[in-house]
Parts: sequence; structure tokens; C-alpha cells
Amino acid sequence: MSAAGWLGCAAVWLAAWALVELIVWRAPRRGVAGRAAAVAVPLIFGATVLLLWEAIVRGLGVPAVILPPPSAVAARLAASPGMLLADFVQTMKGLAAGYVLGCGGGFLAALAIDRVPFLQRGLLPLGTLVSALPVVGVAPIMVMWFGFDWPSKAAVVAAMTVFPMLVNCNAGLGATSALDRDLMSTYAAPYGVTLRKLRLPAALPFVFNGLKICTTLALIGAIVAEFFGTPIVGMGFRINAEVGRMNIDTVWATIAVAAVSGSLLYGLVAAVERRATFWHPSFRGRRD
Amino acid sequence: MAFGLAAMAAALAAGGAARAADPVTLQLKWVADAQFAGYFVAKDKGFYKDAGLDVTIKPGGPDVNPEQVLAGGGADVVVDWMPSALATREKGSPVVNIAQPFKRSGLELTCRADSGVKTPADFPGHTLGVWFAGNEYPFLARMAKLKISTNGPPGVTVLKQGFNVDPLLQKQAACISTMTYNEYWQLIEAGMKPAQLVVFNYTDEGENTLEDGLYALEPKLKDPAFTDRMARFVKASMQGWDYAQAHPDEAVKIVLDNDTSGAQTEEHQKHMMDDVNKLTKGSDGALDPAAYAQTVKVLLSSGSDPVITKEPQGAWTHAVTDKAGIKAP
Repeated sequence: MSAAGWLGCAAVWLAAWALVELIVWRAPRRGVAGRAAAVAVPLIFGATVLLLWEAIVRGLGVPAVILPPPSAVAARLAASPGMLLADFVQTMKGLAAGYVLGCGGGFLAALAIDRVPFLQRGLLPLGTLVSALPVVGVAPIMVMWFGFDWPSKAAVVAAMTVFPMLVNCNAGLGATSALDRDLMSTYAAPYGVTLRKLRLPAALPFVFNGLKICTTLALIGAIVAEFFGTPIVGMGFRINAEVGRMNIDTVWATIAVAAVSGSLLYGLVAAVERRATFWHPSFRGRRD
Repeated sequence: MAFGLAAMAAALAAGGAARAADPVTLQLKWVADAQFAGYFVAKDKGFYKDAGLDVTIKPGGPDVNPEQVLAGGGADVVVDWMPSALATREKGSPVVNIAQPFKRSGLELTCRADSGVKTPADFPGHTLGVWFAGNEYPFLARMAKLKISTNGPPGVTVLKQGFNVDPLLQKQAACISTMTYNEYWQLIEAGMKPAQLVVFNYTDEGENTLEDGLYALEPKLKDPAFTDRMARFVKASMQGWDYAQAHPDEAVKIVLDNDTSGAQTEEHQKHMMDDVNKLTKGSDGALDPAAYAQTVKVLLSSGSDPVITKEPQGAWTHAVTDKAGIKAP
């Protein structure tokens, strides 16, 4: 690429930067315009990164097997939606089942630990141990136990998510003040009622925190688990196999699908959280 | 001091001139084992040093793709299977076969006798294990030739096999891919009896494709200095293979010394060395154009989903082996 080309790239970058600065400083904070501004900033940034990626890869003549330009990835996304969808569905089976099992299990374990102090001494250290197991070590074992298909991937996801959920819920159940608990005792509320009316609602921000952390963990777990003994479908399989076939554009297309689905999952949990914990100080000031 | 002088004198005598050894990085296709005995022997026995080379051998693994390492500049020369190399070449990465130490193919499908698979016609409806990362091409070509679909029933269900033979031991698959010199023995060492196994060798089916050749990047071969370095490398490597052929036990010892993972056992490597020696027997390192043509024919014959779509051009060269003084067959 010529010097003029590189200067053009730099100019585009600076122009995008200036535009973002302008939006941040000048745009209204509230209402529809405020929302639009909040969405525009990351969009402009993302578009600029893609544009520069394309320019640099083409300008320096980087081989496509090392890093394909975004246009090639977009072409692949457009060319084989069927394959990418089948991969997505396969990975989601393992992810969803594992996420429900892992997060549900973590939540129930936290309740059990809260009720029985004996478990707190016994279960928590074991949980730490499970969480410290590397996914690359667990995945082949799960394949032996649960076969090649999605159940073994669900088991890996469950193993990866159960502990973060447990720790968060555990912290959440301890999040009430002595004053609140005294009030419940004054009413002679039994354990179950105190739990339902005071402690669980108070724990919700922590529970959702755990759920949000677990979405990303579950996605990583589900994809990496598919590197080890899989049917020939799934996002992890696709990444692994297409790297071997030098179809790096397909690898990046799959990564794009994974990134978008991961963000959507996170966003979904965050949206539910806003509805469920509208009373929390972090949301109170943000209602338009 | 005296030792140092002696070493220097030896180096001078060997090199003929006092020049630093030329660096060469070799990327293996798999983990350090007897499949690559010739290279380890050439390194440990000083054949590379005598040829004025300083060779670094990088072990691979189930998900290491040699062509990608080559394209990324991580190696000067790689050990690779021809189907994978040709498929990569068609995708625009200019890999070229510069030498072919392995004369014969060691790939086979090994099935449990109790799975009911007795002939290739019995494959449909069963689950077959296949290695990916570029090793699936011979299998895909074979299934295409047999006109068996690989997308589940009524065809075969394919599963991506890891680096062990558990799927067969645990009956998760009716057949798995094995190499005559490695995974087959893993099954035997795990307690299976040869009578319990049905083996479909790709060579017996006329479906053999060239394995374990040496590949470099075409543009680099335009440099005569690089070609010369490769010629010395190939010649010394073939010396290593000949030595392994003549002294298998010593070669096994050298392989075990080079296995940094400590995962290899002597018993397994002995089996492996014997079988690998069968594949390299009589090879002088120069590619046989007839064997190349056979490989291309197998790959082109795969019907709907061809491994390569057209006859490759310039995918091999005798320039390196000619320079090494090896007679082309």
C-alpha cells in the first residue's frame, strides 16, 4: 500500500475518534437521542477497527492463512449460513443443558450450605477443587463417561459453571444486614419465610452476577469441549477442523457467530436482571 | 580446553571450512516418537552436524497443522501427508514436496470384529472414528469412492477422534483410524487380540496416499542457498533413516531420549520402529512420480466433496534430492 493509503487509514482513524469524542461530549444523556448516542459510540469504534483490519491485511499482503480480511469472513458468513446454524444449534444444546445444570446446581448447593454449616466446611473446598480442574483435562474424561455427543459437552459446562454460581449465591445469601434480620426475628418469621421475603431478594444482584459470569464461561466450555472427540458438527469442531483445512475464513466466521451469541446470552441475562432487581441502586438512577 | 579444541578440529574437518552451522527448523506432524526416528537419529548421531546444519526438531500433536506452521514461518521444512499438503496448495499456500522418506502408507481403519463390520460394504449405519486437522482426506476420498455418505444414517456417522484408541475400546465407535505402526499396537497393548480386530488397510484397497514426506515453501526454494541447505538436510535425514533401519534398538533409545513428554514406553516404540522401518524400507528419499500420481488419482476420485478439485501443478520437485545426489526413481 502506498504512503497515501496509510495516510488515508490514519485520517479515517482520527476522524472516527473525533466523531466519537463529539458524541460523548455533545449528545444528550437522556431520552431517545441519548440511547442512540450510547449505541453509536461502540458501533463507530467497531466499524473503524474492521475497516483498519481490512486495510492493514490487504496493504501488508498478510497471507489469508494467517489472518483473512473481514470481507472474506463476511463472504463466508453469507455463503454457508446453513452449516454455521447447524454448528450453533449443536453447541447450544450442550451449552443450555450444562448452564441450567451448573447454575441450578450451584444455586441449590448454596442454599444447602447456608442451611447446614457442616456442608460449608466440606463442600466449599471440594467446589474449589472442581473449579480448578482445567477444561482440557475434564473434556476427554467426560467424553469417556457420556459419549461423543452434546451430553458430554453439557457435563463440561456444568463442571465449569457450578462453582462460580455457588460462590456468588453464597455471598448473596450473606448480604443482609443484622438490622433486617432482627426485624424478621421480631416478627417471629421462620427460616423459610425469612429466606423468601428477605434474603433471596437481597441475594438477587449476586445471583445475576453469577449468571452473567457463567454465560461466558459456559460458551468457552462448550466450544473447547468440542475440541475433544465430537460428532462432526458444532462450533468447537468447526474451528478445530477448519484450522486443519486452512479455511481460516470459516474459523473466523465461527468465532464471529460465537462472539455474537455470547454477547446476546449475556445481554439476555442482563435484561432479566434489570426487570428483577429494578430496586437496586445501580438501576435506580438510570430509568428514563 | 583440550576437548574444545578437539571438537573444533572435528568441526573444521567435517565442514571443510570454518563456518557456522546453518539453522534448519523441522516441524513434525505428530508427537516425538519412532515415526520420526530418522530425524532424531540424524540429530543425535551428528549426521546433521556433519552436513553443516544446526537442526531444531519441533514435535507436533493432534491439533498441530504442519502447513500452517510452515506458512506462518515457524519452520523451514515440515513432515506432512500429501493429501493435506495438496489440499493446502489448492487453497493458495505454495507447499512443495521436496523429498519422500516414507515409501508406503501406514494408514488403516481398524474395526471391532464384534461390531459386525466384515467388509467395507458393512460400514453404513456404523460410527467411524477419523482424525481431522488435515488427516481426514484419505478417509473422505475412500468413502466417496465407496459412495457412502458421511452425514449419519443411512451412511456412516463420523466422529472426530482424539489421540487415543478409547473410542474403540469403549465401543463408542465400530472402527477407528489407526496407523500400522502406532495405534494398532496401542489396541494390542490395551489387551485386544488380533483376532478381535478387523483391519482395512488403505494400501490393500488401492486407496493409499503418500504419508510423511518433507515439504517446504515454493518461493523459498528459488534461493539456491536454501535449496542447498535442504539438500544437505534431506541427505543427512536419509542417513538417519538408514541407520534406524540397521540399528532399530539404538534408534528406539534415541527416540526415547528425545521424548520430552516422557509419555512413550520402550515396548511401544520397539513395535513402532519395526513397523515404521517397513514403510521406509528401500526408500532413498526421492519422490516416486508414480506414487504421487496414485495419490492424486485417489484424491480426485472422491466424488461430490472432492479433496482437491483439479490436477495440482508443481506440487513436487526433485531439485532438492537431485542436489543431494539422490537418484530419482
